Parts: sequence; C-alpha cells; structure tokens
Amino acid sequence: MGVATVSAVIHNLEVDVELAERHRCGDTQAFNEVYARFEEMVYNLAFRLSGNYEEAADLTQEIFLRIYRHLGSFGGRSSLKTWIFRIAVNHCRDRLSRWRPLTQPLGEDPGEGEVVYADPARGPEELAVAADEGRRVAEGLARLPPVFREAVVLRDIEGLSYEEIAEVLRVRIGTVRSRIARGRDQLRALLEIRP
Amino acid sequence: MKRHLSTEQLSSFLDEEAGHAEVREVEGHLASCPYCRSRLSSMRRLVVEIRRMERAAPPPDLGYQVKAQVVAQGEVRSFERRVRDFFRSLVFDPSLRAASAMGLTAVLVGGFLVWQSVPPVPPPHGRTEIVKVSTTFGEPPLGLPETTSEVAGREFVWSGDRWVQKGLEWKQPDSRVMLASPEGQAMISRYSDLMLLLTDGSRVVMRYRLGTVELSKG
Repeated sequence: MGVATVSAVIHNLEVDVELAERHRCGDTQAFNEVYARFEEMVYNLAFRLSGNYEEAADLTQEIFLRIYRHLGSFGGRSSLKTWIFRIAVNHCRDRLSRWRPLTQPLGEDPGEGEVVYADPARGPEELAVAADEGRRVAEGLARLPPVFREAVVLRDIEGLSYEEIAEVLRVRIGTVRSRIARGRDQLRALLEIRP
Repeated sequence: MKRHLSTEQLSSFLDEEAGHAEVREVEGHLASCPYCRSRLSSMRRLVVEIRRMERAAPPPDLGYQVKAQVVAQGEVRSFERRVRDFFRSLVFDPSLRAASAMGLTAVLVGGFLVWQSVPPVPPPHGRTEIVKVSTTFGEPPLGLPETTSEVAGREFVWSGDRWVQKGLEWKQPDSRVMLASPEGQAMISRYSDLMLLLTDGSRVVMRYRLGTVELSKG
C-alpha cells in the first residue's frame, strides 16, 4: 500500500471515528450521514442475501436500528464500511436462519413501483437482456450455501478485498479465498458455464 | 505429470489477490496449459456476469421509515437516560442522599402497611380469557369482545381495552404512535386493514419492525 493510500485510509478512519463521536454526543445529523452513505449498500447486500425485496427493506431497517444503537461504540479498529457490513451480514444470517428459505425467485419483478433500478439511463432492450441474465445469475446465487453466497456477494457484488471480507466475516484470509473459489465454482456449475 | 491449477489459485489470481510467487507460478502454468486457460476464462465470464447484475435501489420511503424508528428509539433511550440520571443523583448527590434514604424508608413502610390492610385477592385463573372468534375478513370488528384473525396479515386479540397482536398480549408497548402522525400514516398505508380494528376507537398494539408499537386514534 503506497504512502498516499495509507494516508487516505487514515483520513477516512478519522472521518468515521468523528462521525461516531458526534453520534455519541447526540448529533442526530451524524446518523443521517451514515444512513445516506450506506443505505444503498446495505439494502443491496440484504437483497442478495435474502432474495426478496420486501425482506430486504425490513432487514435494512433493522440493520440501521442496530447501527444506530451501536454507532457510539464504533472505535475505528476497522473502517466504518467494514463494521457496517459485519453488522449487516450477522443480522441477515441471524434472521434468515430463523426464517424460511428463499421464497421469491431472485430477480423476479417485485411489483408495481416497488423497486427502481439504479441505472435508468439504459435502454429498454438492454435492460430486458440484462434483467434476463441477472435473473439467471441471481437464481444461481440464491442456491449457493449461505457461507459461499456471502463471500461471493461481498467480493463480486460489493467489491470488497479479501482482507475486508475476512474482517467482515471474522475468518482468516485463507478461508475467504477458499469460500470465494468454491462459491464461484458451484455457481459456474449451476449456470452451466463450461470451461 | 503436470498438475492443473486449483480453483482457489485461479480465483485469487483473477482477483489479483495472489502473492508474487503464486502469480509467477500461475502465469507460468497458464502459458502452457490450454485447459486451465479455459477454466480461468469461464471463471472470468462468470464474475463479469455477477458484476453486471443490476443493483436495486431502496424503496423511496425506506429512509423515512428508518428515521421514524430511530426517532422513536431515541425518545425511549432519552427517557431511560433521564430516569437513570435521576436515580443516580439520588444515590450519589450528598445533598439528596439523606432525603432519598428517608423517602425510600417511607415508601417501604407505607407499602408494607398497605399490603397488610388489603384483603387477599384470589389468584386469577391465568390470563384474561380471550374469546377467539374469526370474523369475516373485510368487515369492522363489531360486537366486542371478539377477535379477528388475519387483519393486516396478523392475528389480533381483544385484550380488555385494545386490540393486541397475538403473542404480545402482556407486553407493554415500546412506543406509541398517533394515527394522524406521519409514522401512523406510514403504518396505515402499509397495513391499511388495521383501520378495521381502529374503527371502534380502540387502540392497537402490534409488533412493527423491532418495536412493539401502540397505534391509536387520539
């Protein structure tokens, strides 16, 4: 990691810790800033792990309530992003293990006006093709064992590094590497992408 | 005989997460092994497909709902903090310590005297009896006491003076929401059938997200 990168990381950590400090001191704007920064990320993670739009909205609410309760105790030992991902993954795991398996096929049209896709600039034809491919991949993802799904989602959808994933899941980097590889391999087989 | 690369090696090479020595080893192997090149290529295609999946935008009212919950929770916590501060001041403030000790003694003595003077009450036979009657869905729950099932997708029971979601009959609400408030309106827009229960002017206690909320008209 270069010097510039290190100083950027330290600066970001300082910003994160300051946000937590402001929250601790009762500054309501601090939580609003956290929400604005991470809402989309948490919602998408919850959606990919639960496979259900409505469930994802409920999970997102609950996750942010947890964040609100514990933000004051964030000490900057990891980045706020990693910390939030950890809360989100743990909460989804906890809730989804007690609830039912995925019931709504992933990528299915969630109903009128419920979901706005993030990229409205794409044309209808392109969107339709992308939606078809996306549905197939999403259905495959939903069939992966949860530990592999988490690893693949964090890496390939959320773009976390192996080190960050290890922090989020509280496992060793070797385990992350193995879960991503096995998850991809199973997904490739499910989607019948042949070498 | 040359061994093929493992899936882990290919995967971490693709992610640029392999160490220098491993990168050299993988590159060397790939240069002479069409089978592993093909595996790497199919893994790359898969990753591209995963990354191309559309990201879903959160529902527009989600932020509002989260913030309403946070405000409700903040109020509860602020109340708890005030109560805690009050009791702490009684214990730690020297000027109040004597007064609070006398007050506590008075309360204990008074409580004991009252307890002595009240005739014993026979223990209740369990909880208040709840009559469970399934009413036709879609009609207001007239002719109390009754219960109606599957209102707003939840089962409610009539518990003395209010409708309570089944399973929460003995739980005090964590927070109260007025129907006319934005939070109340948000709840009703999501669970519009609750209006059926509220038509008789009673209150409704339900689990809404994490908290137990009492929804009332006035």
